Amino acid sequence: MQKGDGDRRVVFEVLRSITNDGAGIRVGRLALPKRPPMDTPNFIGLTSRGAVPHMTPDNLVKHTELGGTYIALEDFLETSRKRAFPAIYNMESEDIETLHAYTATPSYMATVLAARRHPAVTTPMGNGSNDISIYTSTGFQKLSNENYRHAINKLKPDIAIPLADLTFNRSKTPNSFKRQLRMVERTEDWLAGFFRLAGSDGGIQSAVFAPLLPIPYPTQWEYIDRLEQEHAGQLSGLAVYDADILPDLSNPGPLSPLPRLSLDFIASPHDILRQVQLGIDIFMLPFLNSTSDAGIALEFAFPPLADSTQSIRPLGVDMWSQDHKVSLMPLVEGCKCYTCTKHHRAYLHHLLNAKEMLGWTLLQIHNHQVVNDFFAGIRASISTEPAAFEKNCDLFSRIYDSELPKGTGLRPRARGYHFKSQGGDEKINPPAFQKFDEDGSEDLALAAEVAGLVVTGVAAEGNETPLVPEIDAKELDKPGFADVTN
Amino acid sequence: MANPIASASSAALTFDLIARCSTTRARASVLTLPHGPVELPIFMPVATQASLKGLTPEQLEETGCRLCLNNTYHLGLKPGQTVLAAIGGAHKLQGWDHNLLTDSGGFQMVSLLKLANITEEGVKFLSPHDGTPMLLTPEHSIALQNTIGSDIMMQLDDVLVTTSPDAARMREAMERSVRWLDRCIAAHQNPRTQNLFCIIQGGLDADMRRACCAAMVARDTPGIAIGGLSGGEAKADFCRVVVTCTALLPELKPRYVMGIGYPEDLVVSVALGADMFDCVWPTRTARFGNAVTRRGVLNIRNARYANDFGPLEDGCGCVCCRGAGEDGKGGIGVGVTRAFVHHNTAKETVAAHLLSIHNVWYQLNLMRKVRAAIIADEYPAFLRRFFADLYDDKADYPEWAVDALRGVGVDLRVDDT
Repeated sequence: MQKGDGDRRVVFEVLRSITNDGAGIRVGRLALPKRPPMDTPNFIGLTSRGAVPHMTPDNLVKHTELGGTYIALEDFLETSRKRAFPAIYNMESEDIETLHAYTATPSYMATVLAARRHPAVTTPMGNGSNDISIYTSTGFQKLSNENYRHAINKLKPDIAIPLADLTFNRSKTPNSFKRQLRMVERTEDWLAGFFRLAGSDGGIQSAVFAPLLPIPYPTQWEYIDRLEQEHAGQLSGLAVYDADILPDLSNPGPLSPLPRLSLDFIASPHDILRQVQLGIDIFMLPFLNSTSDAGIALEFAFPPLADSTQSIRPLGVDMWSQDHKVSLMPLVEGCKCYTCTKHHRAYLHHLLNAKEMLGWTLLQIHNHQVVNDFFAGIRASISTEPAAFEKNCDLFSRIYDSELPKGTGLRPRARGYHFKSQGGDEKINPPAFQKFDEDGSEDLALAAEVAGLVVTGVAAEGNETPLVPEIDAKELDKPGFADVTN
Repeated sequence: MANPIASASSAALTFDLIARCSTTRARASVLTLPHGPVELPIFMPVATQASLKGLTPEQLEETGCRLCLNNTYHLGLKPGQTVLAAIGGAHKLQGWDHNLLTDSGGFQMVSLLKLANITEEGVKFLSPHDGTPMLLTPEHSIALQNTIGSDIMMQLDDVLVTTSPDAARMREAMERSVRWLDRCIAAHQNPRTQNLFCIIQGGLDADMRRACCAAMVARDTPGIAIGGLSGGEAKADFCRVVVTCTALLPELKPRYVMGIGYPEDLVVSVALGADMFDCVWPTRTARFGNAVTRRGVLNIRNARYANDFGPLEDGCGCVCCRGAGEDGKGGIGVGVTRAFVHHNTAKETVAAHLLSIHNVWYQLNLMRKVRAAIIADEYPAFLRRFFADLYDDKADYPEWAVDALRGVGVDLRVDDT
């Protein structure tokens, strides 16, 4: 599929497909102008404020094989009384795209720009008829279709996802049918407006991935029909908010050769495999960052090696576990990442235990590698023995646990506006302090100790500095320095 | 490597003096330790808990660091001596193939545990971990440092804030430190693979410092530290202590001034004859959003940097400031701007990591330039340039620095002739 746009052509080639129409399970290659081609199915990094959490750009270059990152415009639109205009718009860079330059994204990586983070915080006021509600570090704002369009022109991402009217509804009750219809209407209008604006300001330099909405196909078929009839030539790909509607697209049809980026909810490698089977080409994985924060080292591979032991395998190893205290083993045997080749479990355990930030960096490096290898395995499996791919998916779902381990230790303290909770949510950070003896269930030993430290012995008479042990040094000498026995 | 003027060796260390400044007391040397040579004068970043605040050992290595610190007290608590012994020491724990220096753990007793009690046996304190009583003796400290396997270990000393007015207590602390050194030497299990440095105490009293120097030097440790400083004393007093001690110390041993890290302090201390320094300041200040530059410390959180699209420091060679391929060796440079660091300070850990990389690189590079200037015998000119970069007006130069340098033959307020 080629898009004629001067020399800025986006090429997506389907190299191997299991179905004849090339729309379902497939291996492809996405070539964006200026960036090296990316083999699909694959994943891109998920950034927070332009940075993959805990990873400096030099570590991204040296220790990951990420071919691109997803960046949310709302992370950059803070304004204040002093600063009326977001700083990112003021940047002028000659040879490098503004978005790359501002975020120090390595030049070989592609950038995907969307309005909202993934996953996004639900905004209280909802979207308007020509703008969406976004959440910045300085509060909620409106972002109009026109302003978003200007941002894309200015920042020059490789891939841009036009606005969609999304609710990011996290409750059990789905959006009402009326609301769903409005989502379709608005998204359709906004996309038409997006391209109309393009005509007035010299065309869009970025590849456009049109949103497919997270509602049933019959409700949005008119919108999809319009994409096929009017916009197919302007689109370079699809941004899919619900992978389950892919089988309903007409195959082969004008949209089927387009690469598909999933913005659907993905909580585990099982979800990845399911969506690969539905025909998704590019993924973003919110579970990667959260798994690293939880102190979990991922451990899974595709195709899975069937072994005689029938027990269910976990998808990761909890590095907080005391089992690793003196273990010089790599996090995962045979893993070729920096963390596994240069460090060992005991170090990771120590770093987490000591709340050293390096622990999360090393886990990010490892976890990105595991997922990278997982996708390489998927591609190889589809290419070399397509018939076995679905069988391997079944095997994977049988032998691996269905959920990622939760982790038993403390996460890095969540800091920042984007961890906004909604009414009824539990606190993200445990309270650092609480009232002593608040509910009468205080730790008696601790209470005695606190009291003892303050008032016992000579300290009570104010004669000597408190906190001095009253045991004879001979007794203290026995256990040795700082040998914590627990 | 340049030919040494003079050399001295002990079991686990070789000291090669390469050059002396013909004006000041500054010297350039090579210190060869069990994990390789390091070039002095040197700044040593502090990887407190076996990790330099968010940097991988590989990133630390890329700043040029070949000798960094671990804190004995912290490693003793986490992961603890048993685990360290099982793993095979701190080098193995953190995947660091270069040199390590550990303190004795005594300083943390004073700085973290204001309520510790010091007796002739050792430091009694309550564990911050669970409140149980603990005792740190010279023997404990050395046993722990032997387990850690650091290339340079420090003796346990009786640290007292230098500003303490109690001269009798100060003398007691100084004399006790000498006695504890003897106990440390006796307890030291690996003199062939680990170096034990003594620590000169004696507060701000020149006579006491001289007495301590004589006693410590007589015990012939492979290196010598000047301790008890950077505890809030006036800078002029600090300089007086350093200059008093360096005059009495043997030339062919490394001299380590503990806890010093501000760039001005480093360049002045080098002129006064010191070789080694450590401080948490560059990495701590990074986490507060500060970038160290030759023009001073910039608080990148300030709104003025939101629209500043230059590197943290123009011409800086660190991986953050450098653009891709700018080092001419195909090295990675990421071309980070002040605006991007501002955008993420206190919001993403990456901003702190970037500033830490930059600040550590700045400190190490400053010492590389200091060393080159000493070898070229241009150190006085270097000092003038350094202060001229930092202050617009000579009148703003700190008095203590001007006075201290005048004492070793450099008048900062007079232009180079």
